[in-house]
Amino acid sequence: MSRPAFDFYWEDFPVGLVHETGRHTFTEEEIVAFARQYDRQRFHVNPAAARESIFGGLIASGWHTCAIAMRLMCDAYLTRSACLGSPGLDSLKWLKPVRPGEGITFRAKVLVSRPSASKPELGLTKFLWDAVNADGETVLAMEGWQLFERRRKEER
Amino acid sequence: MNAAPRSTLYWEDFTPGEVVEIGRHTFAEDEIIAFARQFDPQPFHTDPEAAKQTFFGGLIASGWHTCAIGMRLMVQQYIGRSASAGSPGVDNIRWRAPVRPGDTITYRRVTLEARPSGSKPDLGLVRTRSEGLNQRGEIVMTMEGWGMFRRRPGDPR
Repeated sequence: MSRPAFDFYWEDFPVGLVHETGRHTFTEEEIVAFARQYDRQRFHVNPAAARESIFGGLIASGWHTCAIAMRLMCDAYLTRSACLGSPGLDSLKWLKPVRPGEGITFRAKVLVSRPSASKPELGLTKFLWDAVNADGETVLAMEGWQLFERRRKEER
Repeated sequence: MNAAPRSTLYWEDFTPGEVVEIGRHTFAEDEIIAFARQFDPQPFHTDPEAAKQTFFGGLIASGWHTCAIGMRLMVQQYIGRSASAGSPGVDNIRWRAPVRPGDTITYRRVTLEARPSGSKPDLGLVRTRSEGLNQRGEIVMTMEGWGMFRRRPGDPR
């Protein structure tokens, strides 16, 4: 039986691997557009009201930062991989605000790699996905799992 | 008594053990695809035909989409009228069952704990478990998040 060939299988994500997934500059317009749809708090949608808030100005929704991290991850490796989705994340930390005009660099680091206990053709990989601003401060840190197909014996 | 507008929610208004329904949302195929094209373009989220050949046997919503809709409903139901000071993060996000086109997900929150901030006397932290259940009562998503809220002005500390 044939199956689509992918560039990356479970074996291609060894512990310690670091992959810079990309960089994104958050514009005020897109911060407001995302938040109007999904997270309409005043410090995400209203620059004037945001100045009076605890944050002193507009900041991106944390879910927006996560969504961009996901997009960059897809473009960097995931859509070329034999990925079967994710059972979830163990932790997600929004460590610093992301403000309009900030360029954020995202990366993926492999923390754990293990074969599936129940399905020998699959493997699980735990990643740290983090994001750093221009001052080198970590703004986002997520630890979570992705499920991949393993290479077939004859392909290993 | 006058019908006063619903008042601002402060940290003191979150009681451990309370269970509150947040709202419900039906995920249409076109919005699943639109979200995923923008943020999570894996074939099982963006291409109904290709999705049939995958592990999932059909199109499913991005887990981030399920979270984002949960956030929208939380803001509508309570965060939008609260003295919210944002969130430091979320633990244990679990996407436990796929969300498919036409599924209606009901979201609810359970207040797990509430404690004053150690460093900022005018703030308190609330830990909440949020859950999404589909129309068959299956849990599709759970997460445990921290919210920061201002304390009610004038309350004794």
